[in-house]
Amino acid sequence: MLLALILIPLLAAIGILGGLPARLSAVVASLANILVATYALSCPACSDGFSLQVLADPNINLSLGITGISAIMVILSVIVTLAAVYSGKCPEGREKLWYSSTLFIAAGAIGAFLSTDVFFFYAFHELALIPTFLMIGILGRGDRKQAAWKITIYLAFGSIILLAGLLLATAHTGSFAFSDLKEIPVAAQNTVALLLIIGFGTLVSLFPLHSWAAPAYASAPTPVAMLHAGVMKKFGLYGLLVIGMKVAPQGMLHWLPWICVLLLGNIIWVGLVTINQKRLDLMLGNSSVMHMGYIFLAIAALSANPDNTIAVPAAVLLMFAHGISIALLFSLASVVEQKTGTLEIAQLGGLAKTAPALAFLFGLAGMASIGLPGLANFAGEVMVFFAGFADWTPGESMGWVQITTIIALWGVVISAVYMLRAYRNSFQGPLVKATENASDIHNCEKIPSYILAITLLVVGIYPKIILQFLSN
Amino acid sequence: MNPWLLLILPITSAVIIHLGLKRSATASALLSSLCVIATLIVSFSLLGSDASVVALDWINISGLNLEIGLELDQLSKGMMIVVTGIGVLVHVFSLGYMKDDEAKARYFGCLSLFMFSMTGIVLASNFIMMFIFWELVGLSSYLLIGHWYHKDSAADAAKKAFLTNRIGDFGFMIGILMLWGIMGTVVFAEMDGSQFSSLCTCLTGMVVLLIFCGAVGKSAQLPLHVWLPDAMEGPTPVSALIHAATMVAAGVYMMARLFLSLGITPDTAELIGSAPQVIAWIGGITSLFAALMATQQNDIKKILAYSTLSQLGYMVMAVGLVAPEAGMFHLFTHAWFKALLFLGSGAVIYACHHEQDIWKMGGLLKKMPITAITFLIGTMALTAVPFTAGFYSKEGILHAAHHQPLFWVAAFVALLTTFYMFRLFIVAFLGKAREHGSKEASEVSLIMSVPLVILAVMSFAAPHISAIFPVPSSWSLEFDVMPHFDDPVFWTSIGAFLIGAVLAFTIYSGKDKDPLSIPLFRNKFYFDEIYAWIIKIFQDALAAIVHFLDAFLINTLLVGGLTRSATGIGNFFRRYAQSGSLSGYAFLMAVGVLLVIYFTVFASK
Amino acid sequence: MPTPSLTEYLIISGLLFSIGLGGVIIRRNIIVIFMCLEMMLAAASLTLVAFSRFNVTDNGLPDYDGQMLVFFIITVAAAEVAVGLAIIVSLYRARQTIHTDELTSLKG
Repeated sequence: MLLALILIPLLAAIGILGGLPARLSAVVASLANILVATYALSCPACSDGFSLQVLADPNINLSLGITGISAIMVILSVIVTLAAVYSGKCPEGREKLWYSSTLFIAAGAIGAFLSTDVFFFYAFHELALIPTFLMIGILGRGDRKQAAWKITIYLAFGSIILLAGLLLATAHTGSFAFSDLKEIPVAAQNTVALLLIIGFGTLVSLFPLHSWAAPAYASAPTPVAMLHAGVMKKFGLYGLLVIGMKVAPQGMLHWLPWICVLLLGNIIWVGLVTINQKRLDLMLGNSSVMHMGYIFLAIAALSANPDNTIAVPAAVLLMFAHGISIALLFSLASVVEQKTGTLEIAQLGGLAKTAPALAFLFGLAGMASIGLPGLANFAGEVMVFFAGFADWTPGESMGWVQITTIIALWGVVISAVYMLRAYRNSFQGPLVKATENASDIHNCEKIPSYILAITLLVVGIYPKIILQFLSN
Repeated sequence: MNPWLLLILPITSAVIIHLGLKRSATASALLSSLCVIATLIVSFSLLGSDASVVALDWINISGLNLEIGLELDQLSKGMMIVVTGIGVLVHVFSLGYMKDDEAKARYFGCLSLFMFSMTGIVLASNFIMMFIFWELVGLSSYLLIGHWYHKDSAADAAKKAFLTNRIGDFGFMIGILMLWGIMGTVVFAEMDGSQFSSLCTCLTGMVVLLIFCGAVGKSAQLPLHVWLPDAMEGPTPVSALIHAATMVAAGVYMMARLFLSLGITPDTAELIGSAPQVIAWIGGITSLFAALMATQQNDIKKILAYSTLSQLGYMVMAVGLVAPEAGMFHLFTHAWFKALLFLGSGAVIYACHHEQDIWKMGGLLKKMPITAITFLIGTMALTAVPFTAGFYSKEGILHAAHHQPLFWVAAFVALLTTFYMFRLFIVAFLGKAREHGSKEASEVSLIMSVPLVILAVMSFAAPHISAIFPVPSSWSLEFDVMPHFDDPVFWTSIGAFLIGAVLAFTIYSGKDKDPLSIPLFRNKFYFDEIYAWIIKIFQDALAAIVHFLDAFLINTLLVGGLTRSATGIGNFFRRYAQSGSLSGYAFLMAVGVLLVIYFTVFASK
Repeated sequence: MPTPSLTEYLIISGLLFSIGLGGVIIRRNIIVIFMCLEMMLAAASLTLVAFSRFNVTDNGLPDYDGQMLVFFIITVAAAEVAVGLAIIVSLYRARQTIHTDELTSLKG
């Protein structure tokens, strides 16, 4: 069953390259994937692991399995994939590349989350990066070549450091299997933790290795931006939670002050950068970088005390929520561009008058991303903050994590500033030239938005629907 | 009746209006109004009943349990009557006021959303639930202030309100987290103030003040008061409901709830150090500044907005004086007469064809007698004329402040209140009509005047219906219907009223333009300008600098430097090693061969 | 007249090789370069013959392996000249020049 989750998009992508009707196959494949995922997750018996030996020495297996965290990540992936194949506007005649790349990325992401073998965990992620690069470089917008190279070089740099860290860790544990991961000797932990933080951190755009993200998302075709910002970026956080905390908890504790400083770099520094953005897509790209800081805050809380029971659910819930909300925002931003022909905030205005449904959806997504209660991100953020304070002993001075949490809370104000400013200047106020004759979002285009918006609402009101996967 | 209905009805109405009834404005208005009437009935049915509900889990993981529950005590039940009661009247008034608005369905949908959120704050059984609905009232306030979002001023005001509240919520959230760290729970009923006794008062006072930050934002206290006057860009019934009677009072309600849960009384106030004094002074200064600003405003709604600020300052001051019962009592009476004043101003604005400048009105007493008389009743209640609702509650606060420096602040604010309210009344309602709009004004329809009359009745009756006081029985709220003539507080209050009224009559009677001009007050102590400057320097300029540094240091120097050095090395080889000259290649090959020979044959030995 | 020793053969062959290499590096005319290449081949052949002559096996005969290799070199060189000259002719037809200075399309 789990293998099918990877094979369906993979085969569909190959089929599209071989001449199947592109859009239809992509939609069918992603719908099928949602059904398979629902089925696999609903009965524990049918989500049994899968294992195939690829190499005897070193022992590498294509083994798949599902745990609480990966179940949530797979749900995130299949939902965003379905929305992504519906989003954006494929240039005439490039359907093969467009849809097959989208499905390849999806297959890579799902594969990475399902792998229970360090080698394939890494390899699937790399598989997803290749089509990402191609799509940005060939079908992107604006300064696409530079953005494509930038993301490639950055992520290759991150990946190579990550690979070093993973190999070092597995050299100590003696096996690539997740089930054999255990705490490695303390002497090696600091190095491994550092390599993993830099490696995974680059993939998650941890400050100061973040400057690839915003231009890449701004240039990327919409489905790629949605899948990368929504799903692929969570790979690094997932890796830190599943591998980093397992093999090198002492090392993570050793680097805790640095993690705290860097995550504040994400929240405060990048937050201020986001305030100064003049384009909607760059603003969204930077905001996604900023919000990574909150998930790192949960990881910091976990590093400070591996027994913190709130941190893991908090991080995972926020990863899920952020993935959905940022995908929704990118999808809607592309609609704004299609309707008005521009994403310069200064050239927009009053769109709520001519496109009320679009304004409603964008408002909902924006409110979700700034953590309005009732939407999924708030549940995640509030849990992260509680995780930060879980280890505080009143009467004693505050630790790194508590102080970081307090400063990070200011980010809630910063994100409200940039999001409301952008919303006010593009959707409210009097109509301007670009928006005068803009049409509202079409019923067809509403499909991805509604998929994502309803997910945000449901998870926000009833977070247990996601958290239940972590309880057993 | 099931208390959950209080939450379910309005949210159902909001959802149905949004999903299905957008096109039918009348149906939306009716649905929304019926729902709020139903919630009023449910609220009444709760009075005296000892209904309780089982809390629902929202997040329940090991180490953290956040639930959605209802706290049904006299504090919340009484507050529900205020919220739903004024809610009903405002809905009815809106049926007339918003009759011709093109986005009527959206308006009523948002009103329902507001009723849902406000109910959530009032009935919340724990701080996180309160915070959730706290943000949601912020959202509904944002949506309603920005109802006419195509106007720049409305869109800006909505944004400002939301952002200012967010700043307050920043402190509020830290306070909640620290309180959770100390108490191990966020549920009001499970809190135990005695846990504070083992801690330094610097910490406990800090926690209380951080939570108070939320109230500073929501109840628009100094220095976060700037959003409330701007919020008057919203439709006037919204101002009455949200920005006068209920939402802005949520901060006071929340502080009362905090004090009640922690069991803070004048005897145990030392547990939280000097936090109460800070709170009291912030309230006192806010009420003083706001009253001063109100004396020089010309927009009828702005005057009332500053008056609201000033009265909220009063309530906060009472809370800070550890007399939350006096604060809640004033909240209760103020809600009725301030809603009356706002709806009255709405009627005036409606009748004068959306004219808001009081100097362009005049003579409305004859043209709109019902509105004018009810407005006068509201003014009397606000200025604490004996036997009106405001008299009793203001007396309570003055008593709490008695023998403290704040007493004189409060008394002076009472004088100013009388002054600016009578200024408003004299200029707008007496004399003769000055402009076209007020000349054509006529009494508003029944659907708008009936709520005014009911509120006017409540402005007298409210203090006598003790069953609906939002004051728990553990707090002793005592007042006598007849004033005490041997009480210096009473005479101070009367004196303040008389001086204020006489001053207003002598200065403003029969004038056609403002004889006083105090730029400092008119320009609101330049708060907006100072904040605009601070935002420009500390946010926008900082953001620009950080953005520049981000682009320059990280992108250009660090990343760009690495890439440039890589390309540089590549270019070097390209230019000098890959020259295209055949003989050069041959030479290099020869050198290479020689080196290979040298290393294999000679050097290996 | 004394018979030259192996050393003298090797010196001559080294000189021939160096002259050839120098020509390849210095000269610009591709035909001259080609001839110099041939000279380097001849130097290598001379070395092989000399080693063969002086490496007498147990039965008193020289080691013919080296001389065999020289025959191969001569035949391959003949073929190589044919191919090389053909390339030079077509190069001249394409570019109207056989000067290496003007043939720099490999420049990066």
